[in-house]
Amino acid sequence: MEIERGITKAMWGYDGNLEPLYDVEDKGAEIHVTFDLPRVRKEDVEISTTEDTVEVIAKMSNTVCWERWGGIQKRITFQAFKKQIRFPVHIDPGKATASFKNGILRINLPKMRREVLVGID
Amino acid sequence: MDMGELVRIVEEGAVVYKDPIVLEGLPDVGLVGTIAASYAVEKMGYKEIGYIESDLFPPVMVIHKGKLKSPFRIYGNENVVVVLSEVAIPPNAIYPLTEALADWFKAINAKLVISITGLPAKDRMDIEKPEVFAIGNSEDAMKKLEAKQVDLLEEGFIAGTYAIMQRECSKRDLSAIALLAQCYPVYPDPGAAASVIESVEKFLELGIDVAELNERAEEIKLKARDLMRQTALSAPEMQKEVEQDMPIMYQ
Repeated sequence: MEIERGITKAMWGYDGNLEPLYDVEDKGAEIHVTFDLPRVRKEDVEISTTEDTVEVIAKMSNTVCWERWGGIQKRITFQAFKKQIRFPVHIDPGKATASFKNGILRINLPKMRREVLVGID
Repeated sequence: MDMGELVRIVEEGAVVYKDPIVLEGLPDVGLVGTIAASYAVEKMGYKEIGYIESDLFPPVMVIHKGKLKSPFRIYGNENVVVVLSEVAIPPNAIYPLTEALADWFKAINAKLVISITGLPAKDRMDIEKPEVFAIGNSEDAMKKLEAKQVDLLEEGFIAGTYAIMQRECSKRDLSAIALLAQCYPVYPDPGAAASVIESVEKFLELGIDVAELNERAEEIKLKARDLMRQTALSAPEMQKEVEQDMPIMYQ
């Protein structure tokens, strides 16, 4: 399994989905995630969250087929970006916010936690 | 070049160099150098004039139009030399690579070495037109930058291939500058590449129009995803995060 992953882990899939570049930053109370989504319009972005995942499916405005690349790749038409990220902490899916600008999708996910102020004696 | 050396510059063809200006655009933050250098090669129609080989490089070759090539290539003519790579530079190859390149730049009597790269900007999303900052390795280089009115990076750390390139050029008495455009750290940034080319133009005056780079930005970003990911993975080993730090001897 591990060996296969080392050889075949690619940023594209046979299903016509591309893996987007993304970045995750832990900001303490929130997790900030950004995705680079070229050729995508805001209205074609779908974001769904659970308490420990975020999934983005983003349809490209034009499909892409690199006709001279690789063996099987040249026969695949890529249509969308798709990525699910799992977090090591629980987030509050209802409080997530997102913005999209210059092809960059940014999602802010507040962490689920009960904060208790500790007094100093 | 001696085959025993760790990094070998292999010249193909016989270019008679006339004090060329070198453009070095190796993979780094935002792939700014790579995107800018390959765009310059394409626009100027530069021919492949050599490649770089090393036992420190990954055992990777690239196929273009059915032809086998080294991913570490050199393009240009007697006046301009462009160094680029289609795979990330392994951190342990940086010292021998920059030494071998600087030796070769000296041998071809380069009058100026320009490293083009990015300067990570957290708020890049909100920047319409990335600014370019410069570093010079000598008094001569600083004078050249001043004459072209490029903003200087006055304090801070620089890390990666271009940082060591500056030093190796200094050791060989070669004038070197680095031009850095504000960029997305881990996303390919054709906009930053356009800014950096406009700066390079002040020195090279090749008449490269960046309009197409902006028009084709999305297509370039799509093609650059894999190299960006490889490059981002080697960034921690390159100590890239130090570029955000304040030097203790700041004055």
